[in-house]
Amino acid sequence: MAKDLIQKSVEELAPLLESGSLSPVELTKAVLDHAEETQDTINAYMTIYREEAEHAAREAEKEIKNGNYRGMYHGIPMALKDNLYFKGKVTTMSSKIHKDFIPEDDATVVSKLRDAGVIFTGKLSMHEYAWGITNNNPHYGPVRNPWDTDKIPGGSSGGSGAAVAVGSSVASLGTDTAGSIRIPSSICGIVGLKPTHGRVSKYGCYPLAWSLDHIGPMTKTIKDAAGMMDIISGYDAKDPTSVDTPVGQHLERIKGDVNGLVIGVNEEYFFNEVDNDVDQVVRGTIKALTDQGARVEVVKIPTLKYAEWAELVTSLSEASTIHHEDMLKRPQDFGDDIRMLFELGELPSAVDYLQAQQVRRQLKQEFHEVFQKVDVLIAPTLPVVASKIGEDTVDLNGKQVDLIDNIIRFTGPSNLTGNPALSVPGGFKGDLPVGVQIIGPAFSEDLLLDVGYAIEQTNPMKNRKPALLTRA
Amino acid sequence: MSLSVQQLLESKGIQAKPEHLEILESRWNGMKKLRGTLESVKIEDADIGLRNIPGGDHIG
Repeated sequence: MAKDLIQKSVEELAPLLESGSLSPVELTKAVLDHAEETQDTINAYMTIYREEAEHAAREAEKEIKNGNYRGMYHGIPMALKDNLYFKGKVTTMSSKIHKDFIPEDDATVVSKLRDAGVIFTGKLSMHEYAWGITNNNPHYGPVRNPWDTDKIPGGSSGGSGAAVAVGSSVASLGTDTAGSIRIPSSICGIVGLKPTHGRVSKYGCYPLAWSLDHIGPMTKTIKDAAGMMDIISGYDAKDPTSVDTPVGQHLERIKGDVNGLVIGVNEEYFFNEVDNDVDQVVRGTIKALTDQGARVEVVKIPTLKYAEWAELVTSLSEASTIHHEDMLKRPQDFGDDIRMLFELGELPSAVDYLQAQQVRRQLKQEFHEVFQKVDVLIAPTLPVVASKIGEDTVDLNGKQVDLIDNIIRFTGPSNLTGNPALSVPGGFKGDLPVGVQIIGPAFSEDLLLDVGYAIEQTNPMKNRKPALLTRA
Repeated sequence: MSLSVQQLLESKGIQAKPEHLEILESRWNGMKKLRGTLESVKIEDADIGLRNIPGGDHIG
């Protein structure tokens, strides 16, 4: 029974919890036990809050029994990335420097999930300070991919991706500055949504690069992500980048009807230098949607050719500003890989940074114009699949290419423009999952989730799950 | 006069790890390549859209 429970999505668990046929206590125990059992193999957790989670589960059980069911996430056990602040709880950013840092306030997303009745089971590992995509952490060890434990789970939200895929967290949150929600979601075979910049408050999230950072759901299914967006979206005066614009009902909107949908395809950038099998999966997904009544329009976005440069200059400069003082005083306390990135981020000039912002303005304009003609863009989330832990290169059609440069190529542009982008499982290359990315106009998360649902309904994963999740 | 990566970092008080210098040079040159033909693109008058709001970001 316990192994059945950890495989279930929020949308499957919620009616059981609401009706009382499943207790949050039983569910939380199953998730905590599985988190402990898989910790040696996967290393997804930084800290497990067993005692607090069991207490919260008993409280949730009482509330639900008394008729005070709060909604879809009431009684759902979940762990969050360790750069999201929990008042009074150590929050490390998976770093050595912040190993004893205790925030004085909850992140807004944490408060909102707590109010929705979520049971927090702990904090999840991440690439140190979110500045990397392997989750090969020098201080706390690598997080491993549940589909192949020799492979990376992606990052920087690698703990969240691995935990959701292996069932040690029913759902989770990630943060995304150049792809850190979508990369592990694609690699771990789950759903990951980077919302529009300003849609979800970043208050209480340790920054990587202010103007590029986002928080969003990482879940087993599209409906789980939609339900979470209903909880965490909305204006927050505590976040200076928060946007005060109406929030739709994400879950209610989901129908999976793509008849008449116009899909934009940009061949020059988003289908350039892509693994052949990944390319096939993404084109197969587009075909499945056109079979349901969608149509394809080829679009040009000329400024995309400068997007990698602008993304790098912006993220490197902002991240190195945040960590400048520690780079002067205690550089030896950073992991070697991110220390080098902080060194690199000291090199761009003010003119470089401001020109990158000009490119960004131009790119935003071109995306806006494209979305006058098409409803969404569809592209691979990544040009490659998971690489081996410890390797700096990855295979791309028989050629070894730089891992970091390649893995953020298709995710970075929507961090620059702030447009929402969703990664949804599209199939496999061998035994490794492949994600399909859907990018939309600003504040169109409900549309992206609806298109994602249409893809999910085609069962692209063929019900396959990691062996660690299904093994009794 | 063009400064090396090491000199640039030292001028800012950053002590780069000696074994990083070669990789930093290579990554910095890689970034220059990515910049490509940007100089020929008309972006000079593109307003970056940074808002200067007296009183703070969220008034009222």
